[in-house]
Amino acid sequence: MRYFLIAFIALALTACATKKNTKVEQTWKGKGFTYYPSGALKPSNSGRGRKGDNYIYAPNIRFPLAYAPAYINSQVYGIGGQFGARGSLCDQRNYKYPWKDNYCEKRTRGMPLCPSGVGHQGVDIRAKDCRNNTHYAVAVEEGVITYIGSYSVKLRGTSGRTYRYLHLNSRSIQVKRGQRVWRGQKIGRVSNNMGGTKTSIHLHFDIKQTIRFGSYSKSVYVPPYSSLVDAYKRLLRGKP
Amino acid sequence: MRLLLTTLLLLSSLNAESGILDIKWPKPNPQHQKPSTPYPSVLTEGIKKTKLPVYIPNSFAYDKKMVVVANKDFYTISFLLQGATFMVSGDRTFQKSVTTSNSGFQKMMKASSNVEFMEEEGMRSANFNRHGVNYELLIECEQPKTDTRCKEDTFIRKLYSRLIMVGGRP
Repeated sequence: MRYFLIAFIALALTACATKKNTKVEQTWKGKGFTYYPSGALKPSNSGRGRKGDNYIYAPNIRFPLAYAPAYINSQVYGIGGQFGARGSLCDQRNYKYPWKDNYCEKRTRGMPLCPSGVGHQGVDIRAKDCRNNTHYAVAVEEGVITYIGSYSVKLRGTSGRTYRYLHLNSRSIQVKRGQRVWRGQKIGRVSNNMGGTKTSIHLHFDIKQTIRFGSYSKSVYVPPYSSLVDAYKRLLRGKP
Repeated sequence: MRLLLTTLLLLSSLNAESGILDIKWPKPNPQHQKPSTPYPSVLTEGIKKTKLPVYIPNSFAYDKKMVVVANKDFYTISFLLQGATFMVSGDRTFQKSVTTSNSGFQKMMKASSNVEFMEEEGMRSANFNRHGVNYELLIECEQPKTDTRCKEDTFIRKLYSRLIMVGGRP
């Protein structure tokens, strides 16, 4: 009975979400910004997203790129991507609204919050244009830089969340391990760095936080899309 | 089960809260707490204020070039290897609390104490909960597609099996 009730609630939520997820949000306050809802992965064969989850897991964060415009969409399924239409990764059609969520996009990584149990741990963001090593990624929250690797930087915010920035140009990194950073402080420039293996020019951004249930807890990559939509609107409003 | 987690997170969004996890401190282990050779000061000084059990793989405990970033709630220690970076971290905070009496959800959370080995954007990680604290080991390679340390779980599993407690205080 209990499982029936749970399944019913889940189906009801999914049905509501599906209805909402069929159209693009209208142009936002004359700024030209449009976006598909959270969890509506495009193209549809790119995976199963968390439809209907509009919860802002990281409230009031700053947008992770220094300035607009920026474009959240798939690198793998976009034009020039591994499974995308033929063309250049720098094709102008990749640099247009609407935004498309790509958290939970098809991957083999274990992801407890993705409907299929596996998927992309964050979202891919293109900067204003395709120029390499030009556009800055910035701290989304005041905090401390805890880790810098070959192609990743981790920021632990004062909220306790960990934000991960991938593919920044190594030589452009403006911070050091252990350095305190303020919200909006430059971290490094967006590039195609993935160690010795190049990727497309973009920022992979993800958010890890811990969920507690009684005496148990689990750290998970949470959906960043709604938080980023919210942050981007503030950036466009001139109040990042 | 994942649908259930999704549903519960959605329904519990109004119960959002953050705080400190309850830590079940292990009994003192003299072998771990008092090493025959003192740990380097970069480690002992770095984790002096950390209020959670601090684990690192035994083979790294005497690396004087380690970088420690820590405060009372978390620690991250990173090491430069040949062609790779290794990181170990622990965190005693939570950012969201879910309240439900559902046994299925509880079962899933209990399972989270088991270690999970994952591939992460070309990196390899081990995530686990011990003493109520969430820990992560991560190896990131300069050549992620060819370096076996990042292509396979073997290396990260070996490091996980060699964890020792080197400090922390209640």
